[in-house]
Amino acid sequence: MFKNLIADSAAKSPWVYHINTGSCNGCDIELVAAITPRFDAERFGVKLAGTPRHADIVVVTGPVTAQSKERLIRTLEQVPEPRVIVAMGTCPNSCNVFKNSYSVCGPLENFCHVDVSIAGCSPKPEAVLAGIVQATEILKQKRKEMAK
Amino acid sequence: MSFSFPYLKYAVGNLFKKSSCDMYPFVESTAADKYRGRIAYDPTKCINCGLCMKVCSPSAITRTEKEVEGGKEITFHFDLTSCTFCGMCQDFCPQKAIELTADYGMVGKREELFTEGSYVKEAPAGKLGIGDDCVFCGLCAKMCPQGAITVDRANKSWTVDEDKCVKCGVCVGKCPKKTLDFQKPQVQCGEDCVYCGLCAKMCPQGAITVDRPNKSWTVDEDKCVKCGVCVGKCPKKTLDFQKPQVQCGEDCVYCGLCAKMCPQGAITVDRPNKSWTVDKEKCVLCGMCVSKCPKKALKI
Amino acid sequence: MEILFAVLRILFFPGLLFVAVGGLLLSGIDRKVLARMQRRVGPPIVQPFYDFFKLMGKETIIPHHANRTVYMWAPIVGMVSLAVTMLFIPICGFSAFSGTADLLVVLYLLTIPAVCLIVGGSASGSPFAGVGISREMVAMMSYELPLVLVLLSVAKQVGSLSLQDIAAYQAANGCILFHWSMIPAAIAMLLVIPAEAGCHPFDVAEAETEICEGPLVEYSGAPLGVFKLNHAMKLFVLTALFCALFLGGITSGIAPVDVLIIFALCAVVMIVCVTLLHGICARLRVEQVFKFYWTVVTGLALVSLILVWFGL
Repeated sequence: MFKNLIADSAAKSPWVYHINTGSCNGCDIELVAAITPRFDAERFGVKLAGTPRHADIVVVTGPVTAQSKERLIRTLEQVPEPRVIVAMGTCPNSCNVFKNSYSVCGPLENFCHVDVSIAGCSPKPEAVLAGIVQATEILKQKRKEMAK
Repeated sequence: MSFSFPYLKYAVGNLFKKSSCDMYPFVESTAADKYRGRIAYDPTKCINCGLCMKVCSPSAITRTEKEVEGGKEITFHFDLTSCTFCGMCQDFCPQKAIELTADYGMVGKREELFTEGSYVKEAPAGKLGIGDDCVFCGLCAKMCPQGAITVDRANKSWTVDEDKCVKCGVCVGKCPKKTLDFQKPQVQCGEDCVYCGLCAKMCPQGAITVDRPNKSWTVDEDKCVKCGVCVGKCPKKTLDFQKPQVQCGEDCVYCGLCAKMCPQGAITVDRPNKSWTVDKEKCVLCGMCVSKCPKKALKI
Repeated sequence: MEILFAVLRILFFPGLLFVAVGGLLLSGIDRKVLARMQRRVGPPIVQPFYDFFKLMGKETIIPHHANRTVYMWAPIVGMVSLAVTMLFIPICGFSAFSGTADLLVVLYLLTIPAVCLIVGGSASGSPFAGVGISREMVAMMSYELPLVLVLLSVAKQVGSLSLQDIAAYQAANGCILFHWSMIPAAIAMLLVIPAEAGCHPFDVAEAETEICEGPLVEYSGAPLGVFKLNHAMKLFVLTALFCALFLGGITSGIAPVDVLIIFALCAVVMIVCVTLLHGICARLRVEQVFKFYWTVVTGLALVSLILVWFGL
């Protein structure tokens, strides 16, 4: 019973940490727009965490530039399990128009397992909400597997 | 230290107001007008010109061709997680087969986020042709997305590989001499002309020459930019752009099938007198007659 | 038998469980009302419970340079001290422990959670935590002075340092809040609560957007959950202390109803002093907090103390 309670709570209290790996700032703005009163992601318990240690969902934006690669890996290592990684926008999914650039090491799949992809350049806040809701389901699954 | 709380009245007032929240997953919300979201692809319209792949900056569009019975099966794959939703493919598609819809809900595993469509393309019919004005510049060959045109400037030869040509019309648009098929509109002077020379005077490019004594009116196609100033100025309203029109070739046997098939009833065929006429006013250039002609004598 | 009762009191009512549940509910109401103030729907009221249980189920990471023992024990000591504080605060005229000068005990016990935050933060060995600790110390210095003055003026008014006596005085003479010379002290106490609980305009130590939650920056999983619980419990203890000091004597005689009344009063006090301030203010800088508490709030408390001293 206690395990179920924790798994349910994990799905209802996703704290989001946001990493910008060379994004153009478009996705960053839309992610912040998702917590404004009009969309209000806090209905699902979403809170923007200040540090990766508090995070459940890591939202990555940007095509992973050579400069940000090391920092991205180090940040992701600090996120405690269970965690879900969301690739927001086209850049972390496929590097968008920056494919084959000398300064881009992406996509994000090269460095970690991506659980949810949100397509769009940049996605609407509604799409971000849909992505977070999908991520909470995965979070619950992962917590259940962890408790076994 | 000064204190002012400009938001106090809003904070207290809002407690008693309805929330301004969209409640998104529970209440559907539509994207704004002209939002560019998920790509919709209509394979029935596509003519496989490949222009979309050429203009796509993140190379999100891939094409696979497979030989099947009766032609080639062509599959276009649009990777939505690679697309930057610029809308260039939609703009450039000569057949309007690609559309960026208002659907923004593109969320899930990366492998699931794509648009795909395929169709079987029959072997192409009809032939592209050049006119006398061709200078063998080779621009058409350069622009052809299929690489179907070969131009040999030295030998003044121009050939088109019919197997490759998909009749997309890109070359026609790019020809600097406007001498390829699918004629572009051209300024023409009618019979009412009094050779007043006003058009020549007003032409911003100096493309028109009027010789009043000799009653000659000429336009330099290279200079003309089709601005239409002359058309507006002509006191006799006799200048106009020539529209492309259906023409009947020498092979015509006056069978009358074109007249029968014309949805607008614009064609009249008089078999006994061997005459074939088209009413330009009625004709909408749909091309139905061209495709139905058993002798392939018609062309636009 | 006596020991069993004491244990029950410490663990359940009015000890650990009561404060924890009450505090989490209060902070849920805080988040909900704040959302309504911003015209949002907001999270459900039980959201802090979800947060707490989720953090219990998360992996706990202990940094390499952290002092493991201190790092793990700091939040627990803070939680226990808060639960003990609640035992001294009278709820409906009744407190589990009472003594002759329990106001002073409460004053000391209330600083322990802040000290635990400082100790835990310094044990984590992060530079962000270092900045947070120094800020937390400045904040402590700024709000302790007015808090002492407020407690003194109440004690002078009643003539006793015992919370039990304060409750009895109010039961006989009506709420202290309605005594006009005590109103400045009540306002000062209302302004001390958000700083003491680390709530928004005065949360210089845990500035999320600036220094990544300061002392909590390296915490994750269960210890973080306990720290978040501490925060909620502190909110409840402080508002209950306010009710005991200024709004005592409102009773119906039936114990469960009294508890509900106290809880409702706590919620109202919290909405006024924590949620409303959070909704309308931007965060102050460290030196602004210090200046504000040592001028305005201390001034208010002093006015009350002087008025009471002259028997007005």
